[in-house]
Amino acid sequence: MKITVLLTTFWNKTRIIWNKIYPILNFKSRGKVLRLLALSLLLGLSVYIFYLDSSIREAFDGRKFALPARVYGRALEMYVGLKLTPAQFVDELKALSYHENPEPNEAASYKFTANGVEFTTRDFAFWDGPQPSQRLRVEFADGKVTLLQERGTPDKDIPLLRIEPPIIGGIYPGHNEDRALLKLNQVPKPLIDALISVEDHKFYSHWGVDPRGIARALFKTISGQRIEGGSTLTQQLVKNFFLTSERSLTRKANEVLMSLLLELHYSKDEILETYINEIFLGQDATRAIHGFGLASYFYFDRPLDRLELHEIATLVGMVKGPAVYDPRKKPDLVLQRRNVVLQEMVRLNVITQAQFVVARQKPLGVVYRAPSGTSPYPAFLQLVHRQLQRDYREQDLRSEGLRIFTTLDTRIQHLAEQALALRLGQIEKARKIPANTLEGAVVISSTQTGEIQAVVGGREARYAGFNRAIDARRQIGSLAKPIVYLTALENPGRYTLVTQLDDSPLVWKQRGTTDWKPKNYDNKFHDTVQLRTALAHSYNVSTARLGIDLGIDTILDKLPKFGIERRPPPFASSLLGAFELSPMEVTQLYQTIADGGFRTPLRAIREIVTAEGKPLQRYPLNVEQVAQPAPVYLLTAALQGVVREGTAQSMTNWLPEELHVAGKTGTTDDLRDTWFAGYTGDHVAVVWVGRDDNKSTGLTGASGAMTVWGEMMKNIQPEPLQPVVPEDIELVNVDPLTGLRNSEDCKSAMLMPFIKGSVPTEISPCTIATATPPKVEDKPVVKTEVKAERKPESKPEVKEEGKKNWLQRLFN
Amino acid sequence: MSLLVAGCAGVKTQPTVAGTTPETVTQGETPQTTPPAQPGDVIIAEPIPKPIESTNNAVIALLDRAKLDLGAGQREAAGASLERALRIEPRNPWLWYELAQLRLAQGQYAQAVSLSHKSISFAGRDKSLQALNWRLVGNARIAQGNPNGAEQAFKRATDLEQSLSVKGLD
Repeated sequence: MKITVLLTTFWNKTRIIWNKIYPILNFKSRGKVLRLLALSLLLGLSVYIFYLDSSIREAFDGRKFALPARVYGRALEMYVGLKLTPAQFVDELKALSYHENPEPNEAASYKFTANGVEFTTRDFAFWDGPQPSQRLRVEFADGKVTLLQERGTPDKDIPLLRIEPPIIGGIYPGHNEDRALLKLNQVPKPLIDALISVEDHKFYSHWGVDPRGIARALFKTISGQRIEGGSTLTQQLVKNFFLTSERSLTRKANEVLMSLLLELHYSKDEILETYINEIFLGQDATRAIHGFGLASYFYFDRPLDRLELHEIATLVGMVKGPAVYDPRKKPDLVLQRRNVVLQEMVRLNVITQAQFVVARQKPLGVVYRAPSGTSPYPAFLQLVHRQLQRDYREQDLRSEGLRIFTTLDTRIQHLAEQALALRLGQIEKARKIPANTLEGAVVISSTQTGEIQAVVGGREARYAGFNRAIDARRQIGSLAKPIVYLTALENPGRYTLVTQLDDSPLVWKQRGTTDWKPKNYDNKFHDTVQLRTALAHSYNVSTARLGIDLGIDTILDKLPKFGIERRPPPFASSLLGAFELSPMEVTQLYQTIADGGFRTPLRAIREIVTAEGKPLQRYPLNVEQVAQPAPVYLLTAALQGVVREGTAQSMTNWLPEELHVAGKTGTTDDLRDTWFAGYTGDHVAVVWVGRDDNKSTGLTGASGAMTVWGEMMKNIQPEPLQPVVPEDIELVNVDPLTGLRNSEDCKSAMLMPFIKGSVPTEISPCTIATATPPKVEDKPVVKTEVKAERKPESKPEVKEEGKKNWLQRLFN
Repeated sequence: MSLLVAGCAGVKTQPTVAGTTPETVTQGETPQTTPPAQPGDVIIAEPIPKPIESTNNAVIALLDRAKLDLGAGQREAAGASLERALRIEPRNPWLWYELAQLRLAQGQYAQAVSLSHKSISFAGRDKSLQALNWRLVGNARIAQGNPNGAEQAFKRATDLEQSLSVKGLD
């Protein structure tokens, strides 16, 4: 209504002015020129005021309710039997800003007991409803939770406890402003009193400006002193909206005009409420702390309505300049300022002398907390943000105060970050690679639910730069091979794990490409090798031949089912991974294999709730069976062979054999990219190590990425991989060398899974002597790889032509 | 409408799965033969002992909660509780079966089929649970308009049940 009236008035005035100007535009007399000038000035001023008016209202209306989306990590679910140590548990509590207290009865406090921890949770509104604060006791033994009780009279065992999840970031309005919005009636009266006492005690009577203040400021400016002071709360709000710290008369004039306009349009309460939510109160790395609501958490880790008088006075004191009055950096100065605020309050009779005396004696009480920026997990947050952008408008994400519950497991995330940074540093040092030239990325998901538990976008995990986990697309090399082998194993009439493959020289002619002559990494050909051995040692020639026999299109057609949307070029070289994927895409591929042929789209978000706590959306678990369990079981057995006796054999330096990890190394052209993709009973993880400039790293999958994987999993302590044996799988004894059947009591035999009906019929005599050869045969190959790895430029033995094509170089 | 009934039947008969312990499995208590239960029947009236779906109290608590949610018509919440249980025991075939039943009730037939297969993949040699899953697949296929596929699934379920009852007689 007001807007319409103003617009009409403005338009009418402009028309009147124009009608007057028009007849005198012929410049016939000097008087007319003067009048014209005066009118132009008037017109200009009107236009300017109109402009200011609309800007201030736009800013005020637009930002009055801007509330960032809050993103939470996963909530720790505790129950008897959970693998968790007291130290891990307390780390979790500390990350949630719990504090140690000998009487842990107030929310967010804990104490150690003989066998565990006593603690009290906070109230928390989960997706499925509120959960009140609880007083609890947990006990541990042998790295597990052994008791979980609610403390009371009497104590009561509880089956399950969900601890409030950590905030892992926010999606903020422009300028990374964060706030926790408050309505005026939620703001404690002492705060309003303090604010008005100290900053603007005529707030309820002025028109937006204090003429005496302005006069004083003007005098000081004219007399050459510093321009300062005289700002009402309204003026401060205007200043805050336009974010300029410029000190000039023009700006001051603008500020005065805008303040008057603001008061014209809005009530005192609206202005005060906005001020309380808007005012800048500190900086947390890249995140700006706006408003008293958020500042209360940021400095005292409590909501505003639970602050005591002296704490409120501290916050109000900081309004003068949070950069200068930073209680963490300058506690003495802030204490002094706080007491000035208290003094002013008692002078204006908004608090009693007794209250003043008590408050004045209190310490500051600000909590120590490391600044966290917009998110300590920028790579994961970016993934969440992208998923949200598919379903929500950017504006809503930044302003509607949505609460987003995600899958990030902060413990696993930290271990992944640490392993990547540690190993890259160690590798650089050991191999005399210039420091900080290697880069890497990690993605970890849960095997059966497809939830993304950790994303590391680079070795500087806190730095929100290039997110290699999502955006770096690199050739995947041998990581593509399992798809070839799966396709073979799906045809049990032709292929089993012990089928002999031809690893003799191969020349492949395909229209549109030059002749292709794949080579093995060790520059040798191996005549015939068992299928499982070819995968374990990542032989290129036998794999290529196998893939060509099965049909390049048949194999590549499988990829979309496994969640790989981009189609590789239809060349034989694609069978050996001459196409680019991101670590995230590779994780999806391996997740499907790890989960027995069930594709579960990787998820980073579980639920979204509105600012009012209303459930908005769930991202449920979806499953699609894209491969039969039996061939996938065989493939897993073969991938376990990669770790047990193949290219990833040195994994034993990190993980015990009993974990039966399955995985695959990948190395590309000139050792540019090194990969390891693998899985345990509960996690799928993919690691990429390479250089941003795409130059050679001098590393292989086994010496680069795999070591990061091992280091990381060693600390995560995963569950062993023991897939359920599908019904159509039969386990029989075979001679490891020939693949022929051995008797059941044969000691040199190896237990090998087969799809029913494909078990070898020919019996081989049992000889103890043949018990070890596979290892003897395997080891030199591994050694060869290690050797080659250290001398990447060493000349291959088998050299068929002087100039090699890119693909031959790729898989040397 | 018939789809809905079939779907609901799948869920509501779950607690009646008499004994999914091999010895006590009985025939005839199949989803397609059970009369549609009234809303709210899901939790109450379970004269026959339930199968042991988990030995973990946290999982049992979540299953109970899921059933309560379902009884209150809150399928989304029930799904969320089942997923919480699955995070604790991701290889528990009963939980996948429960989720499959829920998806069937929600009319998400393709998901119901996939989840049943996933339950089967973790069921190992538990033929009674496999049979339940095949029945569920059959119901979902009926709802999908695939009577032939449904028949095959029901046949597999019956074969499994018969092999169990024969064993039981031994």
